[in-house]
Amino acid sequence: MRPRLFLHLLAFEFRAQLAFRATFWINALAGFIAEFGVTWFVWAAVFRESGKSVIGGYTLDGMVVYFLAVVLLGKIVSGREFEGAVSGDIYEGTLNRYLVFPAPYTAFKYAQRIGFLGTAFVQFALFGLASMLILVLPPGNVTLASVGMAAVATAAASVLYFLFDNIIQYVAFWADNVWSLDVAKRLVTTLLGGYMIPLSVFPGPVRRVLEVLPFRYFFEFPARVLLGEVPPAGWAKGLALMALWGAVAWACGRLLWRRGLLRYTGVGI
Amino acid sequence: MIEVEALGKVFRVHRKEPGLRGSLKALFRREWTEKPAVRGVSFRVGEGEIVGLIGANGAGKTTLVKMLAGIIHPTSGSAKVLGFTPWERDNRLRRQISLIMGQKAQLWWDLPAADCFLLLKEIYRIPEPAYRETLDYLSGVLDVRKELNVQIRRLSLGERMKMELIAALLHRPRVVFLDEPTIGLDLTAQRAIRDFILEYRRVHRPAMILTSHYMEDIQRLCERIVIIREGEFVYDGPLAAVVQRYAQSKVIRAHLRRTPEPVQVDGDLRALGEVVACSAEELCLRVPRADVARASARILERYPVLDLAIEEMDIGTIIERIFRERGEVGGAGGA
Repeated sequence: MRPRLFLHLLAFEFRAQLAFRATFWINALAGFIAEFGVTWFVWAAVFRESGKSVIGGYTLDGMVVYFLAVVLLGKIVSGREFEGAVSGDIYEGTLNRYLVFPAPYTAFKYAQRIGFLGTAFVQFALFGLASMLILVLPPGNVTLASVGMAAVATAAASVLYFLFDNIIQYVAFWADNVWSLDVAKRLVTTLLGGYMIPLSVFPGPVRRVLEVLPFRYFFEFPARVLLGEVPPAGWAKGLALMALWGAVAWACGRLLWRRGLLRYTGVGI
Repeated sequence: MIEVEALGKVFRVHRKEPGLRGSLKALFRREWTEKPAVRGVSFRVGEGEIVGLIGANGAGKTTLVKMLAGIIHPTSGSAKVLGFTPWERDNRLRRQISLIMGQKAQLWWDLPAADCFLLLKEIYRIPEPAYRETLDYLSGVLDVRKELNVQIRRLSLGERMKMELIAALLHRPRVVFLDEPTIGLDLTAQRAIRDFILEYRRVHRPAMILTSHYMEDIQRLCERIVIIREGEFVYDGPLAAVVQRYAQSKVIRAHLRRTPEPVQVDGDLRALGEVVACSAEELCLRVPRADVARASARILERYPVLDLAIEEMDIGTIIERIFRERGEVGGAGGA
């Protein structure tokens, strides 16, 4: 897809989000407070009840900062509100419209997804900074370099997540409704990706397996890169693994897409 | 521009027994059945031609259109649209075709049409001057310039359909598939859309395939019709020929000066045709084409006629008659 069309689509979807001003701000504010607030209270309780000052290598403040980064970056990576858009197109037959357009559907949806993430970017920029200042959280080892590296890691994680998500979405060609698969995917990716609990609390052998699986690269990796916990060599290695998993996911998605289109009935017209 | 050879599509449909027992059973074992939607149809459509696809619900019209627009794959046969196989979805083809679905909104609900058109300009790579010129022309002819900046969801159904038409024709497609373009519209909007389609055809000469349940659409827009029944073509030819063949009679409707008693139809007139209606102020007769002049003269001569009209049989009735006849002889053959 031409970059000009990609940017146009992105801006187009963002404009569609801005059409609902109240929803935009409610989503941005409520989504952040609910998720980050609950995480904060839970971990505060865990630290208090356990009587420990360090869990999985994190102090309470460190844990809160980690989750702040994971929650904010995770929203950009997963685009949760946009999940189900592809399977919805297949189920409702709105895919018909895209199949007639002279533009690749996958790139079309990715551009729309990024445009859809307006609220996530606002949360990251506005609430992330506000939380750090209001809660007087330690900035960790955040540097200009780590921010730059995290931007690259987050962009790569976003593409990787999208490619893996598509594999599940394309199952809609066979199963019509993939809601249960979506829930299972969310559970697995958030648990094994460091979104629910830091991966450092898992036993050593499990951690070593998780190192090579794609899940941690969705959430934990970009967050730790941002917090300056990943050296440049580890960052490069992580990006290489992401590229490898991305190629696998792309190939699987492509296969499912092609096979699925043979079955597609274009219901709804 | 469109060449179709023995095209067929069979859908695999899940059959579930009714009730809770059926639902539980389907959790473990599903029964599938094959449903042929289109059965080996062949036809061609040339430049500037509007072909009307007529058939009952489930006859296979939309399935055929979906295959030709490249949305679904056929089970058998072949098709070429502008020299391309549609379901291979080559961008060179997709830039030259358009699909208008009256039952499915194509535009983005929450944004004004002007924003949607700008996106389509990018998708179809329409040069700025051509875009301006076409948008100006289409919005002018359809009389929706003032509504271009209104959110799609705030438009009336008629206005929305006009915007859909603009969206579909902005890139000046050479092949247009119109699937129920006037469905749900009021008579004024239907007429405006029909006039527009004819005007567009006159100027740009695209090949068009139209499906519609409104016989008025077919009569006004199509010189050629294809009648489809259970996936097979029952008739493919000029609309006029089908009218000639199946409507061998016409209806003479005479509006009379009111009399105290209903008029009496004499034996001579009865011999010429069938009395459809007879009252104090109306006389309506169905007569064979060859006897129309004679019967009209006799009515004018014997009754106090205020107005007289000679009507062709309604196309819907003709189609019903064809279906009935084909059904009675055990299915359809190509015409």
